[in-house]
Amino acid sequence: MGDIVGFAVAWIVTSALGELAVSAVRRGSIYYYTASNQALDGESAFGFILVMLVPVVAFIVVMLVYNMIRFRARGKEILRSQAQFYTNKVFVTVWIAISVVVNLLFYLHPTASALEQMFNGEEARYNRQDLIVNVTARQWQWLFNYPQYNITQAADANGNSVMFLPADRTIKFVLRSYDPFHTYDASAGVIHGFWVPAFGLKQDIIPGETRYLYIHTNKITSYDVNPMVRVQCTEVCGPGHPFMEAPVHVVSAADFQKWIASQQKQQQS
Amino acid sequence: MSSIATDLLGDSPSQTHRRPMLPPVVRGLIWALIAFLVFNTLMSEVLDRMPYHPFVTRASVTVGWVAAVCAWLLGVGVWEGVVRPSFGFPTLWETPTDWRKYFMYSTDHRVIGLQYIFSSIGGFLIAGFAAMLMRLELMNQNLWVFSNPGAYLSTVGIHGTVMMFSVGTVGLVGGFGNYLIPLMVGSNKSAFPRMSGVSQWLVPAGIATVVLSPVLGQWTTGWRGYEPLASQDPAGIVFYYLGVFALTTSSLMVAINLTATILFKRAPGLTWNRIPMFAWGMLTVSLLNLIWLPEIQMTFLLGLLGAVIPFPYFTQVGSPLTYLEVFWLFGHPEVYIVVVPAFALWQEILPVMGQKSLFARQWGIIGLVFVMILSGMVWAHHMFTNMSNSQMLPFSFFTEIISIPTGFAYLVVIGTLWKARLRLTTPTLLVLMSMFNFLIGGVTGVLLADPVVNLQVHDSFFVVAHFHYTIIGAMIFSWFAAFYYWLPKFTGRMYSERWGKVLSVWIFIAFNVAFLQMFLLGLHGMNRWVPVYPAYLQPMNFQVSLFAILLGIGFVLHFLHIAWMWRHGPRVEENPWRSKTLEWQATSPPGDENFTTIPTVVRGFYDYSDDRPAVSVDVHADAPQGAR
Repeated sequence: MGDIVGFAVAWIVTSALGELAVSAVRRGSIYYYTASNQALDGESAFGFILVMLVPVVAFIVVMLVYNMIRFRARGKEILRSQAQFYTNKVFVTVWIAISVVVNLLFYLHPTASALEQMFNGEEARYNRQDLIVNVTARQWQWLFNYPQYNITQAADANGNSVMFLPADRTIKFVLRSYDPFHTYDASAGVIHGFWVPAFGLKQDIIPGETRYLYIHTNKITSYDVNPMVRVQCTEVCGPGHPFMEAPVHVVSAADFQKWIASQQKQQQS
Repeated sequence: MSSIATDLLGDSPSQTHRRPMLPPVVRGLIWALIAFLVFNTLMSEVLDRMPYHPFVTRASVTVGWVAAVCAWLLGVGVWEGVVRPSFGFPTLWETPTDWRKYFMYSTDHRVIGLQYIFSSIGGFLIAGFAAMLMRLELMNQNLWVFSNPGAYLSTVGIHGTVMMFSVGTVGLVGGFGNYLIPLMVGSNKSAFPRMSGVSQWLVPAGIATVVLSPVLGQWTTGWRGYEPLASQDPAGIVFYYLGVFALTTSSLMVAINLTATILFKRAPGLTWNRIPMFAWGMLTVSLLNLIWLPEIQMTFLLGLLGAVIPFPYFTQVGSPLTYLEVFWLFGHPEVYIVVVPAFALWQEILPVMGQKSLFARQWGIIGLVFVMILSGMVWAHHMFTNMSNSQMLPFSFFTEIISIPTGFAYLVVIGTLWKARLRLTTPTLLVLMSMFNFLIGGVTGVLLADPVVNLQVHDSFFVVAHFHYTIIGAMIFSWFAAFYYWLPKFTGRMYSERWGKVLSVWIFIAFNVAFLQMFLLGLHGMNRWVPVYPAYLQPMNFQVSLFAILLGIGFVLHFLHIAWMWRHGPRVEENPWRSKTLEWQATSPPGDENFTTIPTVVRGFYDYSDDRPAVSVDVHADAPQGAR
């Protein structure tokens, strides 16, 4: 009985310390830097799982350490343990019940609940005012065009691809490995991965397929503010893979209109 | 002369006479070289001349390689050991009894086991060196070790491929499995010794093929050989397919042999209820190999055809996603092929070290079996970033619930350790460390199973850290535990506890500091497969590299310690851990035969409530002492 009490105290103390650490991390930012509602959702799912798992991890770690220290053999002689038992129905039953319950809980929340939210965000009826950005991935560059504004290839003054987005707006990224404005060899396309770390989601781009990714931007920021606000290819696509990145700027609605105007002007020149 | 070999070859030692020949390994290399030149020339100059007639084409190198591997196998002894006897010729082959027996074809499961162990240590050191080069490169955000990203990516591919297919899949199964399973089930030989003898020699051939792949050209896909990228890579990818084919064929033969041995070679009284835990691990992992290896071999053959003919199944004109799907259909069971033997080892070693009966044994077995079954139902969690929404929920569900049978290994261990008399030896420490590491790998696996989280951290260093926790953290640490635990069995000698413990703590700290930071790197936006990355990630990468290099040094020191003690360690009694399992009832090291009298098992091996042995006869009372 003494061992059970000793273990329980150690477990509770460790769990409490673990929860304090996790809540400190959650007050900061698990994802380091977020710039979309989707990233916040993902971050809170991450945090929820951590909070629930702290006592579980603490149970196992404290058990391993406690057993190792408390039940270590003393002296050189090899002796059989005094206590010998083959099972303990209560312990096994509780263990299995808890592992089933915890897994079902995680499946319902955050897995199914967060996915439902993500799927809803992709419903057409919620997305009539979206800004559409066609994203084209090819070896080895990102091309962005804005069909609602007739911008075929957004670029900075040096001709490098750049993405501007308005803040507090849902963006519908249309992901393809080809676009009508560039030559394309159908047999040469490879898989790329579209990821803006600060937006909290990524999607692979498969040759010959069109995919969508919805993001709701929630703050004004840019690559210059935090390097996580960049488009980065995440699926290996050949030697140029590390260089396949592009800066992102999330700006106010007015600044976005100004940028659109300058792009349209640049395109006509 | 090994009596086992004589039995198989069906002639008596008096008839054999030795004629001078090259050492088998040297002869194998020469035969392989000749076969390659002949068949390569035949293809590129006669049968399949290409414009500008290059001497080596993708087609010629493929045919030349197949011929070279066959010639290599024949040269190391398959000619004398398998082919000639099959046609009724007397064998002119004498098996030496000294170290040379490890450098030729053998039918002795213990020799084969050690050969597999040496092969996987070789693969581990080569692929580990590749990892050191990668970590050196990543100390700086610019290219400085490698001159171009393709060279870095080829190194990544060699590291991953050699580690997975010659260490992860082989170290505990082909190596420890081949050596120990016949001993543990009370048999003097495995079910198919000749096939087993052939299969081992595919491992060095496969490692060499993958390592030599840059000779043909770079390949940038990593260990997955991702299509359609692979189809446009330079010709190095051909040696990736061929090398992996050799390695997986070897593992497949091991799986057939171990399954049959466990099913049919058990000693009298060794019922299903008494099969040792490690044997259960080998059985489940072998069934996984039997189910999934043929599948991936066919996939790689399609990939090879795509590279050679070409046959563009997996490009945009075919279906790129199909490759990913069939790859991960194998790929996720593969990681359980790596880690299930580790689960079994924990449950094998700790009751012995604690001198306490195994707790809830049936749940441990249920855990192994259900991990085996569920591992084929979780694979698409590698593809949350490219699957349709409707597939996310079921795969997320199965991925989360596989933690339940996995947890049973912890249930068994914790129940066994409670109120035990745990000897804190090096194997005990390594097993406990391995369990801690796998716990971190498992917890981050729960996070990765959640699609919304996965879509952020997938393809980032978070995933790199996660799977290294499960593979290095669980399997490699358990592999070292196995080395220390069975070193007295292999050699009759003991290692140094002090050095074993110091080095284990060393690798534990270096491993955790290096890989815990990789989780943070991933969350901070570090993507995979990049020798060049944004400058803000450099400081943490520098620290990771420092500890990764310390980890590498720690592994090498472990091997040096084991190698030294193999020859110079103090001699110990035959059953130094007081285990009841059968392998410890034979002499250490075992003599010509494992058991002069096949033992009869009368009770389970994990009951420490009394001192009664699990077998009814003293199996080595009349065995030659100290015979090697």
